[in-house]
Amino acid sequence: MDLDFSPAERDFRAEVREWLGAHAPPPLPSMDTPEGFAAHRAWEAELAGARLSVVSWPEEYGGRGASLVEWLIFEEEYWAAGCPARVTQNGIFLLGPSLLRFGTPEQRARLLPAMAGGTDVWAQAWSEPEAGSDLAALTSRAEPAPGGWRLYGHKTWSSRAAYATHGFGLFRTSGARHKGLTYFMFPMTGVAVRPIAQLDGLPGFAELRFDGVYVPESMVLGREGDGWRIAMATTSSERGLTLRSPGRFLATADRLVALARDAADPALADRAARCWVAAEAYRLHTFGVARRIAAGEEIGAAASLGKLFWSELDLRMHALAMELLGDRAGTAGWLDGFLFSLAGPIYAGTNEIQRNIVAERVLGLPR
Amino acid sequence: MNFAFTGEQLALGATVRDVLRDHCPPAALRTERRPAWEQLAALGFFGLLLPPEADGLGLGLTDVLPALEETGRACLPGPVVETAVLAPYLPAGVPKLATGSVCVAALPPGQAYAADADLADLLVVVREGGARLVPARSLRAAARPGVDPCRPLFEVGFDESEDLAGPAGPAVRAATVATAAQLVGVARELLSVTVAYARARTQFGAPIGSFQAVKHQLADVAVAVEFAAPLVHRAALSSDAASARDAGAERDAGAERDAGGERDAGAERDAGGERDAGAERDAGGERDAGAERDASAAKVAAGEAAAAAARAALQIHGAIGYTEELDLRFWLARAWSLAAAYGTTAAHRERLRTAIVDGHPSRWP
Repeated sequence: MDLDFSPAERDFRAEVREWLGAHAPPPLPSMDTPEGFAAHRAWEAELAGARLSVVSWPEEYGGRGASLVEWLIFEEEYWAAGCPARVTQNGIFLLGPSLLRFGTPEQRARLLPAMAGGTDVWAQAWSEPEAGSDLAALTSRAEPAPGGWRLYGHKTWSSRAAYATHGFGLFRTSGARHKGLTYFMFPMTGVAVRPIAQLDGLPGFAELRFDGVYVPESMVLGREGDGWRIAMATTSSERGLTLRSPGRFLATADRLVALARDAADPALADRAARCWVAAEAYRLHTFGVARRIAAGEEIGAAASLGKLFWSELDLRMHALAMELLGDRAGTAGWLDGFLFSLAGPIYAGTNEIQRNIVAERVLGLPR
Repeated sequence: MNFAFTGEQLALGATVRDVLRDHCPPAALRTERRPAWEQLAALGFFGLLLPPEADGLGLGLTDVLPALEETGRACLPGPVVETAVLAPYLPAGVPKLATGSVCVAALPPGQAYAADADLADLLVVVREGGARLVPARSLRAAARPGVDPCRPLFEVGFDESEDLAGPAGPAVRAATVATAAQLVGVARELLSVTVAYARARTQFGAPIGSFQAVKHQLADVAVAVEFAAPLVHRAALSSDAASARDAGAERDAGAERDAGGERDAGAERDAGGERDAGAERDAGGERDAGAERDASAAKVAAGEAAAAAARAALQIHGAIGYTEELDLRFWLARAWSLAAAYGTTAAHRERLRTAIVDGHPSRWP
């Protein structure tokens, strides 16, 4: 057991730190505004130009073939430098890993480079009005058409869909519940998009209506009817490593500790210190997970432990900052983060669902 | 970067687990003061951390962490941490430490009572400014009420004592981390027996473990244990690193003394060497502070995870859990008693606040 970075890993960190130090933009407008969306896309293109947008992907798709540990190093540096949230996140962290694992070589070559460069911005389309936590109750369907499929139905809470160029999600092609679901990717052209304003008033998600949107066969990921398994692989990466690496929480914890130095009440400083330690715990735990993944282990349901931990830590940190700052929270730059942290226990599978998964599939309690 | 135990470290843990399964079953907790002690001694357990010249294996704290966790999982009575983990910090003249035939108890700083002092051949008393070593013949121990029937508390008095050379900090730090590892083991066992109970116990025609109100409590315990363990592992690594540095500094100081005569010739080189030594001392000081901080983080997280596990275990067992008859009570008591050992959770939290909010924390690595 050790916690030592190799010389190559240290060099990589130094390179990333130097590049970000020279290129990190000032705070951008929200990605949920037209000008903010454009600015975030331009930033993604700049990152991609330095081959830093998807460091862990193979070189042929715009990455560097970096190890998981190197990717974690990149994330630490990225958030420590105060860089913008990733507008490409649904694509590069959720769909991308699924394409690398389940996609055909043709699909990978066609879709991944544009995703890595921020040209294509992907929205996820899982939830439906009557299928949220009970995702397998979804009723959107796909019907065979010459050379492909036509999509019908109604998706909602689709993150980034207000401005995205593409989407991905599950549609029923036969059967009931988990069986007969197929994983589709689709361009947004032809989809009726109704943006939905979030707590901050901006359209961070949208409702999607499909009325016979045509997609060619080449936009099916994996085999017909195999969508549930592929989606679960995607959500497992969402809950675990790839969506929320420790870097962003370490950066928040550092900012929080700086804030707590001025706290009059030692109990508030005490809570800040505990958040800092918890962020460290998540970082250390992740180094352990990275090692298990590198050794070929499947993390599976245990990813839910991590999702519970980081989402509640993020909420704790931002709630404490709100207490420390009072009415200065907005001007001090903590308000957006606070609102976003409130979503953490809801998205990517609510924390109630995560606790069920931990209880049933990690601890072995009966369903 | 390989933040996982090696095969050897895990194998040692498995060996200890097997020994404790055979020689420290729950029934022994009611009848024996030091079950499995001889079997652990035969295994070399008490010499794991001692240097080879003291008949030990010269392992680091990290190497024995899985084994220490097993002693917590089995709720092993007796001053195991005191005898096995404090051993390397005791004077070289203390005989037979590696064989386990000298039993050590401790009165850590900030604590009123010494656990297991009735068994002690030697008592280590750590107070502000240093540690003293008390032989059994001069030790007076008066029993005091405590929460843990297998870890009785004693108020101690003594006439004769010997000064323990060197700073006591590293010894207390190692014992703190070892206790945190035991707490992780206690928490894991509490979680596992409670999951088993929730699967077996039925009400309303279904196992109570199928109800979300029960599931969610246990899931929260699983999260607490899962994220406490890496802090304990890191604390052991940074404690070992700080100890290695201390040992290295001592060696260098010795070498410097030996080379003193030769040095007179090169005054310039000496000045350079002094500068380097100074810089090294500063870096070392930071590393020591980091090791102290990491030990506190480990103790708080493990203590809280064990307390949460105890709370959920008792609640989910219900009335049967509240009995003297059920073995569960030994693990509940151990969670509570170890959470208060080597610094309460509150004391360590305060140290964390000082180190992190008042200081300027640097991450390691």
